[in-house]
Amino acid sequence: MNGLQNKGGMTRRRALQGALALSAGAAGLYPATGRPNTTLRWWSTQSSPEQLAAYRYQIAAFEAQHPGVQVLFEKTSDEGYPAQLAAAFAGGNVPNLVTHLPSFAVADYWNAGLLSPFDAVIDAVGAGRFFDGTNRVYELEPGVHAAAGIGNTAANMLWLRTDLMEKAGIERPPATWDELRAACARMQGRGVYGAQFPYAKNSATSLVIICFIHGAGGQVLSPELEVAIESPAAVNALEFYRSMREFCPPGATGYSWGESLGAFVSGAAATGLYAGRVLVNVSNRNPRLKEHITCVTFPTVSADVPAWTFNDYPSVFIPADAPDRELTRQFATWLYEGEGYIRQLHATPGHILPVLKTAAQDERYLDHELVRRYSGEIALMSTEAAAGHNLGWESPAHRINVKAGALINSGVLAEMVQRVVLNEERPRVVLADTARRIEAIMKA
Amino acid sequence: MFREGPATTASPGKASLDTRYGLLGALLIAPTVLVFCAVIVYPLISAIYLGLFSIYTPTMEGEWVGMDNYRRLLASGEFWRSLLNNVIWTVGTLALQVIFGILVALMLHRNLVFRAFARSLVLFPYFLSTVVAVLVWRWLFNDLYGVLNHLLMWAGIVDMPVDWLGTMPNAMVSLILVGAWKYFPFVVIAVLARLQSIPDELYEAASIDGAGAWGRFVDVTLPQLRDVLIVVVLLRTIWDFKEFDLIYLLTGGGPIIGTQTLPLMVYKEAFALNQMGGASAVAVLMMLIMLLFMILYLSRARD
Repeated sequence: MNGLQNKGGMTRRRALQGALALSAGAAGLYPATGRPNTTLRWWSTQSSPEQLAAYRYQIAAFEAQHPGVQVLFEKTSDEGYPAQLAAAFAGGNVPNLVTHLPSFAVADYWNAGLLSPFDAVIDAVGAGRFFDGTNRVYELEPGVHAAAGIGNTAANMLWLRTDLMEKAGIERPPATWDELRAACARMQGRGVYGAQFPYAKNSATSLVIICFIHGAGGQVLSPELEVAIESPAAVNALEFYRSMREFCPPGATGYSWGESLGAFVSGAAATGLYAGRVLVNVSNRNPRLKEHITCVTFPTVSADVPAWTFNDYPSVFIPADAPDRELTRQFATWLYEGEGYIRQLHATPGHILPVLKTAAQDERYLDHELVRRYSGEIALMSTEAAAGHNLGWESPAHRINVKAGALINSGVLAEMVQRVVLNEERPRVVLADTARRIEAIMKA
Repeated sequence: MFREGPATTASPGKASLDTRYGLLGALLIAPTVLVFCAVIVYPLISAIYLGLFSIYTPTMEGEWVGMDNYRRLLASGEFWRSLLNNVIWTVGTLALQVIFGILVALMLHRNLVFRAFARSLVLFPYFLSTVVAVLVWRWLFNDLYGVLNHLLMWAGIVDMPVDWLGTMPNAMVSLILVGAWKYFPFVVIAVLARLQSIPDELYEAASIDGAGAWGRFVDVTLPQLRDVLIVVVLLRTIWDFKEFDLIYLLTGGGPIIGTQTLPLMVYKEAFALNQMGGASAVAVLMMLIMLLFMILYLSRARD
């Protein structure tokens, strides 16, 4: 007998080939069905450990139903997605599905012809299951949706430490800017700062200052999308924002959303401007504050000016050049299904708020410790977010602004804040310059 | 038949061999030329070409604008400010790298206890990933939890935490210091290697002539290091001038555009403003500026 052959007559080479094939099969290269492997790439800006666990559940369930399909989750970030997606679009190497990007980014990409219509997914989920008007910001052509909402977010709630308020003798939450300043002044001290606003050169600062401009009764663009930032209201907003610098940590000049959240959750700031993620972060990382936090709508300049809640309308969309589009639509539909969608919501209760009526009323959703404990706060955030706006759609009277993403990414608004706050330039002069720069971007 | 003309030494067979050698040479060098064209010539021509268009990055579609991108850039204060920042950053960090590098190399050249360990340790910042290094430094600089601020307040030097990265000139100073810390080991490696090859006789002769420690350093060591320092400065100038990741991750070019250098401006044009044409124009201008510096520097060094 040949020394390379075993008793069964199998050569060593064949045995090695068999072992290799088995290993490859185990590694998923050759799926049981024999279909060539299909990989769906899913990008999201929301990727906290709790959210990743929920996504893993959804992915595993989808893969089990679709042998031979693998879903690959890839993280992006609020600050990083414009560059990453621009490179992906330019290089023709786009992900299959992108979630949690703001509605104004969707409008920007749709306007450039980079997205695939999303109506088939909305129909598959059931248009009637969405809260009324949830998807209106994505209807960028009559009857055609560029994306759908996967959640709502009330991003500029005012979070308060009730224990510090009590200690400072503050009886009710501040409703105006003057009251907020006074409250911060009284609560600041002994290592605790009054507030945690971002003053950095980033999108967080740009998005937050828009809230203050509206909180002063102003607007960045008129309903017809003419530049309208040069106004007494915007001057007022910038002056107030500058005046709050003394109540924020020194490093707030480098804060993005994450650092602002961290400052409130860690107990370093007595008030916080943020969305519902505060709840899960306090619960997991600083539970001693669990009993002492609440939120209200963010104060405005006076009682005459209504609150303006910033909802970035977290979205789901499919790039036009994405491969395996039908399978991707099935996966996008799957993201809204039963237990999986509720797990997504439970990953950050109150942060990503349900857009499906069926989910919001589902016993499984309501049966969560944080949803029960903070039912008042979550109800308030849900109401506020549903009526929320952003630079892509500043008010019900406004047209959809497809240049909002470009305006935010340009950093022109954050630079405006830094010039006023750090360089101590006169708001009127800075606003005039900013108006010119916005005009140029709108016309580009 | 008598034929007048230059004498030819090659026979027909020899000529054929020369041709074959020539072809073989071309064939052997072809992969190098191809790689050079693919990684140097093509991107260079591509950048010059793109700089003449207004291009929307995600679609890479646009229209011919000729020299408009260059005219816009040269007329903008942002370009000149970024160039100034670039020069301040490069000169500042390079000077510190060279000074620290020479000092540490001199120290490590001496007979120290644990010299081998110290030599390995000093290379650590250079081998560390920039992302990790920046994360570590951001924590050190952190206003609420940073060791640096705690130490300063504990020592009574400051009453409130210092904002190291969010205000000027702190941001630029911090950037230069971190850059120097990250890259000085390169200077150490190069200088240390040269120090080990300087003949001892030169120092002995200088000592006999009455030179002290400073005199030996100035009259023997520095002249001997001259050649290696020229190369080090040349390479580090190129690398520091086009540094992106460290600056982007540490300050993002802020506050406002206080630490924005030209590479960050390229990134901003390409991906924040989605103007690939403008980004290419900045990149081409940057290349020309660097080329000018290099020609000046090399001609001075040759003199």
